[in-house]
Amino acid sequence: MSVTKMVYPLYQLGNPQLRIFRPSWFLTLVRPGKEQPPDTVQFRIPMDMTKYDVKNYLEKIYNVPVGVVRTRIQFGSNKKRNHLNQRVKKPDYKVAYVQLAQSQTFTFPDIFPEKDRTLKEGSMEEMQEKFMEDEKQRQKSDPRRGGVTEWFGL
Amino acid sequence: MASSSSLGRVLTLCKRFQSVFRISPAISVQHCAVNLKRCQNNLLSFVGQRRALHTTVSRRGLEEFFDQPENWGEPNVKSGAPWTAKQLRTKSNEDLHKLWYVLLKERNMLLTLAQEAKRQSLQMPSPERMKKIERSMVRLDTVVRERETALRLLQTGQEKGRPGDWRRNVFGYEYWYRFKEYTIPWYMNKRHERKKFYTPHFVQPHIRLRIERFLRERARKVNLKRKTLAKLKERFPQMKLPSS
Repeated sequence: MSVTKMVYPLYQLGNPQLRIFRPSWFLTLVRPGKEQPPDTVQFRIPMDMTKYDVKNYLEKIYNVPVGVVRTRIQFGSNKKRNHLNQRVKKPDYKVAYVQLAQSQTFTFPDIFPEKDRTLKEGSMEEMQEKFMEDEKQRQKSDPRRGGVTEWFGL
Repeated sequence: MASSSSLGRVLTLCKRFQSVFRISPAISVQHCAVNLKRCQNNLLSFVGQRRALHTTVSRRGLEEFFDQPENWGEPNVKSGAPWTAKQLRTKSNEDLHKLWYVLLKERNMLLTLAQEAKRQSLQMPSPERMKKIERSMVRLDTVVRERETALRLLQTGQEKGRPGDWRRNVFGYEYWYRFKEYTIPWYMNKRHERKKFYTPHFVQPHIRLRIERFLRERARKVNLKRKTLAKLKERFPQMKLPSS
């Protein structure tokens, strides 16, 4: 049973457990804005996901031992206005704070580290870099003038 | 079975590379399967040499929300072409099921990457991957739904899984009303009574005005076409008129 717009069947006592195949829910792991305990992971989840859904999702698909999940809905502001003075709504989203079981810890890694790129000899990028440096050199004023502007003097 | 599918072959290929180059074990297999989506040239040399084994892919948990550590900080990350519906129709149901989860994990990874890039005010490396994944998933869903409808038609004769009916709403439009599950029957449902599945007679003039507007627009389109052709014919007398 696929999930595009989820229609949950009615549950009555004795019905089989609801199962979802090929879920169309996507989680975003975010860096916490406020300082969180070391075992807490912060996610942005779709609005119709529940705590049990998040727990099952992480346990079944990612094999992550989940202890407790707490959720809240973040209101997206409707205050900003565009050039036509109409209010522009930032979308609402649900945030889940997942605490890992088995005393595991998680720190959000640095995904954009500074890498010193060595450009290949004779490549397009290297030629472009050289050209840009030459242009910048030409724009600079004469160093012998000691910072004095061009229009000053004879 | 995964053993005979190209997905399984890609996995085994990555496993073999892994033993040769000793890259970090777990994540590479998972990501190789996704990044080499349609990379056929590497597989040709290995076809028929060895039966592909079923391998369990990486179980590194939360690490799967991020790309391989080698790709962190790169300005561009290479990725293959998206899956087409034609290619997906050749795959078995188990393969499609597994592929859905591969694509799901990749999509989660890209979403985390995009959000972090926004947070750091940096550019996300190769954002076209998101659209590729989205399209692949949509196509996979259509293929699965096609198979489901075919099976349902054969077994029950019904085309749609959810029952429905053509009904008229208050504004005079006929639409496909899909039934909803209730705990009580329709004649006991007070709120449902207020819903009108007929068009009151005082709406007829508005419907007539709508029809007139539609006819006027259609006539305008036809006239425009005729006039442009006449102008072209005047300007280029030897022109052959298109048959339409």
